[in-house]
Amino acid sequence: MKIVSGYVAAFWLELVFLVTLLVVIARARKGLKIPEVYKVAGLDHLDEAIGRATEMGRPVHFSPGIGYLDNAQTLAAFAILSYAAKACARYDTPIIVTNRYSVIYPITEGIVRQAYLEVGKPESFVPDNVRFIAEDQFAYASGVTGIMNRERPAANLLIGAFWAESLIFAEVGNSVGSIQISGTANTAQIPFFVAACDYCLIGEELFAASAYLSKDPVLMGNLIAEDWGKMVMIAFILIGAILQTFGNSSFTKLLAK
Amino acid sequence: MKKELPIALGLVAGLIWIITTYFTGPRWVETVHQELSKWYQLAGAYMVMVGVVNLTRVHGHRITQKKKDWMYSIVALVCMFGIMIFGIFIAKDSNNPGWKTFYSQIIAPMNATVYSTLVFYIASAAYRAFRIRNSQATILLVSALIMMLGRVPLGAMISPVIPQLADWILNVPNVAGMRGIQIGAAFGGIATALRVLVGIERGYMGGTE
Repeated sequence: MKIVSGYVAAFWLELVFLVTLLVVIARARKGLKIPEVYKVAGLDHLDEAIGRATEMGRPVHFSPGIGYLDNAQTLAAFAILSYAAKACARYDTPIIVTNRYSVIYPITEGIVRQAYLEVGKPESFVPDNVRFIAEDQFAYASGVTGIMNRERPAANLLIGAFWAESLIFAEVGNSVGSIQISGTANTAQIPFFVAACDYCLIGEELFAASAYLSKDPVLMGNLIAEDWGKMVMIAFILIGAILQTFGNSSFTKLLAK
Repeated sequence: MKKELPIALGLVAGLIWIITTYFTGPRWVETVHQELSKWYQLAGAYMVMVGVVNLTRVHGHRITQKKKDWMYSIVALVCMFGIMIFGIFIAKDSNNPGWKTFYSQIIAPMNATVYSTLVFYIASAAYRAFRIRNSQATILLVSALIMMLGRVPLGAMISPVIPQLADWILNVPNVAGMRGIQIGAAFGGIATALRVLVGIERGYMGGTE
């Protein structure tokens, strides 16, 4: 058994990253000090957005994007949905969740149901507010914009993997007067969200959300491992760029193995 | 047990998937990889029924309670079940001419219509983003003007420098920023996947407890 050609460097780097992650988690469990995390405006204003919806007597809309369950952005969106659903349950504010995939739908329904249960209001959970729309991208986009126009959410949370529908959602949300918090790691869609939404979680901020919102030291410890990984990557880029400039391609070949 | 079993299953399946993706050689590696892919597709396929039940329930309530625009819910349900019946009992095959006509004459144009609305949304979003409120909005406006002019013949007519400047903006500062975001997001993605794999992050199981 051997490593697939082209994956050798990636495999060893990911293995080192996994070990680092587990070490950091173990340290966090022992109660060792975790550095402070910088402020993420989009996450800090989640409560404000939900509070605004409560004051206006209008619902909150949440879309976990159009990524499938194998997309890490969709998994990261679940953590934010859980937090938002708990806040909505606490304030008796309806939260409408629109799903593209039928596989995602029972998961988001479970998250919202659990949120209502955890705040002690299981009877307030409305199953019809978690909706499967359509698996086709633009049919989903049409369905979501229809819901936004009809139900006029005061807060629009667009968190997950988005493609061409990102700006359609953000502009319709703006036209119905929603405060909008978006988050995606799809680089082609980030400019649209930055331009059209009030707050935007850019790239890794989306993945840091579960740690940031829960303040769990174990999850916070994860962020340190991620930062170390980025530092190693920066070092690799610098070494590669310098060596390549002087005509030495051994390092880039090593990484491409 | 309700929580431990899914985590254990996820861990085992995830590890098998990682091993069969990174390693090659023995035949069983490829067989297991292909078999897992089939299971994954099957699980997704039968979940469609759950979506159909939800859609029927939500729109059924709208119709029975005569909520605002309830007639559209009838259209949605008739379309959904109509297509299902047509596909299962009449067309039976994706190469059926009726099915192909239905796709190319109805679904594809409708998709294109929704997609094309983007142009208006881009214009309205750009108008709001480009209003000069601070230095960042000014940089955005100037960069966008250079990019737009650099992509049409008018830009080159004004000055041959404009298309070159547009290419530089696209290939140097833009790529640098995007790659930075991508590297950060890649680590975030890997860390999220690992957290799910070892059961630290349990959001997908409905709740965090």
